[in-house]
Formats: sequence, C-alpha cells, structure tokens
Amino acid sequence: MTITESGLIGKSVKRTDGLDKITGCAVFVDDIQFGPNLLHSRLVRSPYPHALIKNIDTKKAEALPGVRAVVTGKDMEARLGLYLIDRPIFASDRARYYGEPVAGVVATSEQIAVEAAALVEVDYEALPAIYDPVEAAQEDAPLLHPDLGDYPVANFIFPQPGTNISEHFKIRKGDAEASLASCAAVAEGRFRLPPIEHVPLETHTSIALSEKTGQITLWATSQSPFAMRDMIAQSLGISHNNLRVIAPLVGGGFGGKAGVTMEACAVVMAQAVEGRPVKLRFTREEEFVGTSVRQSLVSDIKVGCDADGILQAMELTYYFGGGAYNDYGVNIARAAGYSCTGPYDVPNVKADSLCVYTNYPVGSAMRGFGMPEIHWGLEQIMDRLAEEIGMDPVEFRRLNCVRTGDEIVSGMNMTPIDLEACLDKVTKAIHWDKKEAPTAPNKKRGKGIAIMWKAPAMPPNPGSAAVVRFNEDATINVEVGGQELGQGTFTVVAQIAADVLGIPYENATVSYPIDTKYSPYEWQTVASRLTWSMGNAVKAAAEDARFQILETVAAHWDEEIEDLTIKDGLVISFKSEREMPLNKMVIYGLPNENYEGWKGGPVVGRGHFMPTYVTNLDPETGQGTRAVVHYTVGAQAVDLEVDLETGQLEVLNIASVYDVGRAINPDLIMTQIEGGAVHGMSSAFEALKFNEAGEVINPSFVDYRIATIADIPRKIHGDFVETPIDDGPWGARGVGEHVMVQTAPAIANALYDAVGIRFSDLPLSADKIYLALDEKESQ
Amino acid sequence: MANHKLSLIVNGHTEELLVSSNTTLLHALRDHLGLMGTKNGCEAGECGACTVLLDGEPVNSCLVLAVELDGREITTIEGLSNNGQLTPLQQAFADLNAVQCGYCTPGMLMASTALLNRNPRPTEVDIQKALVGNLCRCTGYQRIIDAVIKASEQGSAQ
Amino acid sequence: MLARPGLPEFEYIKAQSPQEVFELMKEKGNDLKLLMGGTDLFVQMRDRNGGPAFLLDVKGLPGMQEISFDKKKGLRLGAAVSLNNISKHPDLQKHYPDLCQAADTVGNYQLRNRATLGGNICNASPSADMSPAALVYKGSVILESHRGERELTLEQFWTGPGKTALTEDEYLKTIQFPSPPAGAAGKYRKLGRSKMGDLAIVGVAVLGYPDSEVPAGLRFRIAINSTAPTAYRVPPVEEFLAQNNLTDDIFYQAAEDAMDISAPIEDQRASASYQKKMVRNLVNKTLKEIWETLK
Repeated sequence: MTITESGLIGKSVKRTDGLDKITGCAVFVDDIQFGPNLLHSRLVRSPYPHALIKNIDTKKAEALPGVRAVVTGKDMEARLGLYLIDRPIFASDRARYYGEPVAGVVATSEQIAVEAAALVEVDYEALPAIYDPVEAAQEDAPLLHPDLGDYPVANFIFPQPGTNISEHFKIRKGDAEASLASCAAVAEGRFRLPPIEHVPLETHTSIALSEKTGQITLWATSQSPFAMRDMIAQSLGISHNNLRVIAPLVGGGFGGKAGVTMEACAVVMAQAVEGRPVKLRFTREEEFVGTSVRQSLVSDIKVGCDADGILQAMELTYYFGGGAYNDYGVNIARAAGYSCTGPYDVPNVKADSLCVYTNYPVGSAMRGFGMPEIHWGLEQIMDRLAEEIGMDPVEFRRLNCVRTGDEIVSGMNMTPIDLEACLDKVTKAIHWDKKEAPTAPNKKRGKGIAIMWKAPAMPPNPGSAAVVRFNEDATINVEVGGQELGQGTFTVVAQIAADVLGIPYENATVSYPIDTKYSPYEWQTVASRLTWSMGNAVKAAAEDARFQILETVAAHWDEEIEDLTIKDGLVISFKSEREMPLNKMVIYGLPNENYEGWKGGPVVGRGHFMPTYVTNLDPETGQGTRAVVHYTVGAQAVDLEVDLETGQLEVLNIASVYDVGRAINPDLIMTQIEGGAVHGMSSAFEALKFNEAGEVINPSFVDYRIATIADIPRKIHGDFVETPIDDGPWGARGVGEHVMVQTAPAIANALYDAVGIRFSDLPLSADKIYLALDEKESQ
Repeated sequence: MANHKLSLIVNGHTEELLVSSNTTLLHALRDHLGLMGTKNGCEAGECGACTVLLDGEPVNSCLVLAVELDGREITTIEGLSNNGQLTPLQQAFADLNAVQCGYCTPGMLMASTALLNRNPRPTEVDIQKALVGNLCRCTGYQRIIDAVIKASEQGSAQ
Repeated sequence: MLARPGLPEFEYIKAQSPQEVFELMKEKGNDLKLLMGGTDLFVQMRDRNGGPAFLLDVKGLPGMQEISFDKKKGLRLGAAVSLNNISKHPDLQKHYPDLCQAADTVGNYQLRNRATLGGNICNASPSADMSPAALVYKGSVILESHRGERELTLEQFWTGPGKTALTEDEYLKTIQFPSPPAGAAGKYRKLGRSKMGDLAIVGVAVLGYPDSEVPAGLRFRIAINSTAPTAYRVPPVEEFLAQNNLTDDIFYQAAEDAMDISAPIEDQRASASYQKKMVRNLVNKTLKEIWETLK
C-alpha cells in the first residue's frame, strides 16, 4: 500500500496546460509549421448518397500546373475498421454517402488544390438510397454492403450478411412477453433521434509525410494516436515502427476524433508524393458533412411493472442508423444492447439492438456511445410508466434503480455505485417537491428528472502503459499515450504521479505531444476510461519509481524500506529522521561507504494496467459473467420554462450529480459536469438535416446551431458522490461522457410537467413546441 | 494575382507584409507572421475563434482583408500578456478553470478584453451579448462569464 | 458542392473617387462588385467557390461614413457606417430606437464592427433585421452614378430576395430618414432560434406616435421581415388600428390581419405555420408594449 504524503488526491490543482492555452502558445496540429516544402490537399467528394463509380478521369486535374498527385480508390484494397473492417480509404467501386471521398488532389497551394479538385471527372450511376434504419433493416431494402460476409470482424460482433444489418445484439433473459402480459401497468412507445455532430471548435486536420525510406509520419488531431497508427498500418500494410503518429493537444474531441476519419487519406496522398509533407485540413463545412456523426436511433420500448411499481419486464428494439460504414457503430449497438434497460433492475428482458447501414455519413463514437441515444426513450418511458402506476417519477426511480450487487441485464453483478445518493442530491438541489411559479404570466414552468448509467464500451483487453522518468533536479516527466482533449487528463496524471512520489505538483510535467515513437501505449482516449485505466498505469509507474528510490536510500542508510517515505522532494526516515533530497540521487545514485562503489542510478518507473476479468457474452442471450469493467451512474434534474407565445424553452436550472468513485480533482469534475450539462441541453435541439438527395443542408453554424453563451442556465448545480471501485486509482472512475447522457430526456420530462405534452422525437424546437401547444389547445 | 505591400502594427511591432488581395487578416497573422494563437474555426464569422482587435475593436479576422489594413493596429492573443505577466482577465480564466480544450480561448479572451475596455463593469447580459459570437463546446460558458466578472471587479482588462 | 477553404482569388481596388468607381464599373461590368463590410459577400464567395474578379472598396468615398442628424431634416447615414456605430450613437438611440435595436441584434459584436448598413440593404436578405426598422422610419436610399443622384424609397429599392433596383453603374451612398413624428416610441422585436445571435425567424418593428386626428389617438407603423420576398409594411393593419378605439381585442385582431398578409415559405429554419403564428404573436405583443409606453 502506498502511503502518500502530498495530499494531492482530492485537491483541485490548477490545470497543467492552462497557461499554454490562456497565452495562446498551446500548439494544435494546424499550428505546426512545415515550411515551403508543404503541399496542400483537397478531397473530391461524391454528390450522390449511393452510386456506383463507373469511372474517374484525373487527367485534367493532373495537368494543372502545381498539381503533384491525384489519388483515387481504384485498385486500392485497403480497408479500415476497428471491430468491422468495412470502410475504404477512398471510395472504390461505389460511394455510400453524399460527401464520401472518392479522390484526393495534392498541390503546391490550397488554391490550386481547390481548382484541381473541381477538374476531377467522375462518372456515377445512381443507386437507390435508404436513410431510415428501420426501412434499411428490412429484407427488401437496397443492399449497401453486398460483401458484408467477407469483412473481417471481431468475435463479439455479429453481422448479418445479405442484409444491411452490421450488428445484431440480443438479450434473452427470463420471459418478457409472458411477464408483460401480467403486468399491472405497461407503457410503450417509439422514440426517434436524428444524426448529430460533435462540433469541436478545432476541425479535423492532418499532415502526412512519407519518406523515401518508407518511414511515414502522421501529425493529426487525434484522441487515439495508437489506434490511428494500428488501423492505418494494418490497412496499408505498414509496420508499426514505420508509421509514427504525432498527436498534439486536441481542440475538442467528443468521440469524433477517436478513430480514423480522414487521416488515412492524408497518408495515401503523402505516399503519392514521397518526401514532401501533405496537409489535409477540413473546413467547418467539411466538419459537418464529412466527419462521423452520432448515429440516428429508432427505439421501440415496452416496459411493465407490478401493482407496487416494481419493474418486471422490458421489450426493446433499437435500430441504430449506422451510416455508410459501421466500423465503430457496431460496438455502439452492442453497448446499447448489454446496457439496454438503462440503470434499472429488470428481471425479464427481450432486446434486439441492431446497427444498420444507411446512406448517411459514418455513424461513430460520440460522447455517451449509445447511452444518450437509448436514454432519450428510456427515461421518458419510465416517467410514463410511473404516471400509469400513480407514482412520483423520483420515487419510481428510487424504487427501481440499480444497486451495487444487483444482477443486471447482461447477467453480471452491478459494480459499486450509489444512484440513490445521486437522486437524493439532485432532487434537493432542484427543489423537486416545490412547484415553482413561472417567471412571467406568459410562461409555464416544469421540472423533470432522469437517471443514467454507462460502462466503458471496450474490447475486453484495452491496455494503458506509463513511464515516470526523473530529471536530475527531481522534476519528473510523466509519459503516457492518452490524450488531452480539454477534459483535464494531463492534470490528473501529473497529480497522481506527484502524489505518489511525494513531490510538488508543479514539478510533474506531462510529455506531450503524444508520439507513438516515444510515448507508452494507450489503447484509446474514449469511454471515459483514462482516469481509471491510465491513472492506474501512472500510479503503478510512480510506485515503481518510488520503490526504486526507497530501495536505494534504504540500502544507503542500512534501514528498512517500510520506515522511509518521501515528502516534498525529500526521502525521510521515520526511524532515524535522516533526510535525503531526491535531486541528489534520482539520476546519480548514491555512493557506498568510503566510496566503495555505488548504488542506484537513473530512476525510471514503469507501469501498466489492463483489466483481466471481462468475459464474452452468449450471442443468443447476451448473458455472461462480466460484460464490462464497471458502471458510472448519475442523476440530472432540469427546471425549465416554456414561453407560450413563442414556444421557446428556457432552462432555468440544471442539477447534476454523478458517482465518480473518487474525485481526484474535484474542480475538474465540476468542469465536466457543467460543460456536459450544456452539451446535453444543446444536443436536444441539434440535428443534421438532409434533403432527399442525402445531402446535408445545414453544414454551418448558421443553421446547425449549438448552445451559445446566451442560451445557458446561469448556474449548473453540480455535485458528485464517491463510491469507490476496487480497481481504480483510489477507487476513481471516469465521468466525461456521463454528464450529458440524460439531459435531453430530463428536458422532455420537464416539458411534460410544464405543458402536458410528450415529445418522442428529437430535435426539439420552439417551432415544434409551439405548434404542439397550439394543437393541444384546439382539441 | 497582384501582390500588395502593407504595414501592420501587430502587438506593438511594425510588420511589413506582402499579401494577395484575398489574404484575410487571419491568414496574414498565421501564415505570414507565424502568429498561431488566433484560430481558424469556421471562416464564416460565426464562431469567434479568430477574434483579434483592430484598432482596439474586436473583429472576426477571417472576414477582414489584410490589404485594407495598411497602417492599422492589430492586437492578438500573443499581445495580451506582457513578459509573462498575465492580464487580470487571463489570470481570472486561469484561477477559475475557465479553459478546457483551449481552442476558443484566444478568441474569448480578445472579445472579453475588448468588452472590459469599453465597459469596465458589465452585467451578465452585457457579457453574453459581447460573447455570443464566441462559441465554446467544452466549458458550458458559466466560468467564462464568472471570469469576466471577476476581472471587472479587479479594475480592468489590461 | 461545399464551401471552399479561404476566399477565391480576386483583385482588390480601393476607390479613390466616385469618378473612378463609375469608370471601373463601365470597364469591368460583371467582373466587378462593390465591397463594403464583406461579412455577407465573403461568406457567399466561399460558399459558391467563386466571385467577381475585382472587388472595389467604396467605404472611403465621400459621404460613406456620414452620420448626421438634424431635428428638422432628419437623419443621413452613409452607406458604410457600421452597425455598431449605429447602435451606439446617442442621437440614434434617442430618435431612431428601432434602428439601434435592430442593429444590435445582427449576428454578433465582432460582425457588427464590419457589417455596414449599406451592405446590409444592398444584400437585400428577406430576413435582414435592419429592414423592418428602416421601413418604419420611412427610409430612402440615395444612389450615385455618372448620371447624378437619384432617390428611391426602400420599398422601391428592394425588389425581391437578394434583389435591388440598383443598376450596374450605381452605388448606394446614403440612407436617409425623415425626422420621426413627435412623441414616437418604437421597438424592434426579433425571434430567433437562439436567444441572441441568430437570423430573424420573424422580426417585427413597430413605431407608434400620437395623432389626435384619428379615432385611436395613435398611429402605428408596423414592418415585418422573413415572411415575404422583402420586408414589408402592413398598411391595412395600420389603418385599422388608426380607425379604432385601442383595446386588447383590437390589437389581437390587427395582429391576426398582419398574420394573414404574411406569406412565409416552409424552410429548414421554421415551418410556414409557425412563422405565421409568430407574426401574429410578435405584432400583438409589440403593439401592446408601445401602447403602454405611449399611454
């Protein structure tokens, strides 16, 4: 057991990257300067949502002075994918979404690249397109991936060749049909939500350089440089040590930069112009049209309870609109499957969670990874069922919410959480029992509640590695492979390392940019997993370094390691009260008596963490011993007003409480809670809009609107509870996604409380709300 | 495309530039002067990540032609702090943890600095009005409002 | 397809005199466009990946930056006056509040430092915030060409969405407004999708002033944007109000009449049905507010 003296755990130290960002010297990938050697590129995109590519003529483009290469997907067999390898780098024989890259142009200036892109001539043969996942899942739907059966696939994903279904996850537990038939109250509904975008302030950008020696360097704004390297290396047949990914600070990720989006395009283009770096930078419009989206979802939910309000059964079908390629989407459908009930104890469950190909942009990871999508319907249905059985929505949830040790839908026992405590805090903060008057006579006011759960959705063996390296003056470099997206992970690992080593926090520097050539391995910066997994690895590395130090000093003093500690950069003996400054020995070691030899040497601590206990799930029943590593839970309540004259909705207060296991940096957790609440609120009003030709018609901030500084509730009442898990650093686990999972249904529930109307489809809008109010009044 | 010579006073230094007609101030700052603090978020005047001060007034540098600015004064994020001394506004951002990914931060700071210069004691609505053109996806904005208020209570932006 | 990165290539010319403008317009024809604030033009040029070969900056010409108010003669605004300079001007705030309020809601503060009234008016967007405000103050435009000056009312100037009566050899120099009626009170009310910073889904400008010669004792001017090819006044509604004893019911009926006149189209920003009802609700609310002020 580590005795930590610094007291940094639980302390809200200032961000380690704050000063860089506030002075404007923080480097993002677009800021890296490459000099006059840099070439510029532009992608040629399909104007059809679904079409065969009959021919691509690049001659005119290639002839333009300044054009160095034009690449296409012709004869390119390379495919990309994490769990299902289904995506070409450039569309080869067919395009499957409006905007899919079919060619790339490399030129000496951005202007020439733009001109040349317009000169690439592509012959298309339009095919019928399909956008709705329920329709696309039917047998007679046009087939987007006739070769689905040939794609390499992870052994826990089950595509259905001959259909558009790329994943079908099943839960068959108990007898839901029979149970529902005998329930005292049943609520049923269909809920829909459209694709939405991550909208980071920093657009996707990458620069690739392919040297004549075969060494490739890829600079990218990436959450997961190692996964990026792995996917592209495998896809293009490059060895891992010949593909180097350098990932500076990320200007917002939210899952959109979790995998490979456009970076493989940059690499392929760089290979065509050996020896010169090629930059591919997405405009804001491309960010809306050509990056991955949160999948659309149609969910059919039926839930029943007994006369006491205790949940008995659920029947669920989730149709995820996976978009043109489902290499991430299949795992979202899977995760939604094994967590399909939401944070409830339900003994009988029949669920089918499908990921379905559609001719929309690629559906992929977005903050929440399937949980916001399913909670939209789940949390509203629970409110309806509570109303059916005559219970207050909070009491209903208190009665039915999952508790530590409960057997949950996938058959595993619930890991340590305290959802009731979250509910208690939230209901107090929002004054749940108090019916509050609206702020003006033309407004109606209401409150709504929603709870959530999420587990990191990962393969069973995602690993983190870390190194803690001392410098001569006893400052340290903390080396990790996880990425700083703004969530504060670099700060947390600096805290952890400094705490374990008994040195001031300011003396711990995290080495970035992350560079696969030098940084230790990190599976991915996703799933809210870094505080837990990378935190464990950094803690282990720091403990390793600590042991090396104490071993050397103990031998030097002829004392026992157990009698020594490190505090404020000094090794101290409890027994003899001797002191040894770290900077004397962390590099140089210590001399033996009379300088008869030396002990120790440069201290480099290493550590890793990988969960070892996750099991597979039965493909027919979805049951298994341990589906996931752990769950994080939380509750949110919303207090809002509706302007009856305009339908405009204003959120007055949000109360938001999550169980984080252990708050390593409480203020950073609060920043996630605040940002997440606003992101969640914004997401209820967001939608990518398409015309019949599958084209995004709102690819700009004018018509894809995100919350502005004028749209927020003035105060988010955020808090956390701490129910430690047994394998997190001091019991900690992540919360970065959870904080926005249930805001949309909390708003919907509050809306019902205010005006008595339920909205089952997103997005919300003043337009929709007003017309619904109007219709209700005329009835 | 003809090249235009111009003289810009950037963060107090006179810079001689040769630009094309279609070079925006954003690109002049980043590509010609290597001042990377000002960010490209949308190139449509909507997100505010490119905000700089032009003769003290905040503008979206993505929609201003460099060629129009001969002899004018530009202040960028690099010109705020002085020899490592943060302005009270920057210090407030740091103290209140009003930064996450940092991409919106330079624009936010420039627009807020201009606000405090013209309105030393802004109300919350004043702040919202001044910053509605600065989008942030990470923070939820509360701390940004708090930081501007804190800086205003300390006297001034600079 | 998609907007291009950066601006397309063009040649920038700064106009030194009106004469030069007329000569260049004649010489370059369609290859030349006038440049004001650029906040609409540059976005359009990016979206279309194209534009004129020449941009002629006329902001520095005589009179383009003029702001002069005279109690008798009224207000003259140079076409290149920025929206922020309008919204913060004390004389305008006092005498032409709708103009200042409308200017204040356009886009964001940064944009308003560059966007000009003249550019806004020439862009002729059906949803422009300045348009209803300018209409209730009976604005007119002064156009310059080698033939001399001519004046058009705004109703004559805006001919359709994005279309004006400006000929190929003219530029807009001044926008002028007569002195407002004595005792006038005004408000521009805007409904957007966000609380601030959006386009107008519906925008309503109202100007009310005492008039002892009508049964109502007050006259109202009402102008609306976003719900027709151009912004528009509603004379039948204004007349109805003037001829009646003002009550809540009369205001509501007037608002319904305005709704019936409006002709919004369905688009991704708002349904036609919603836009119509918002015309009614915004007109109703704003009329009553002005009435309260003037009572």
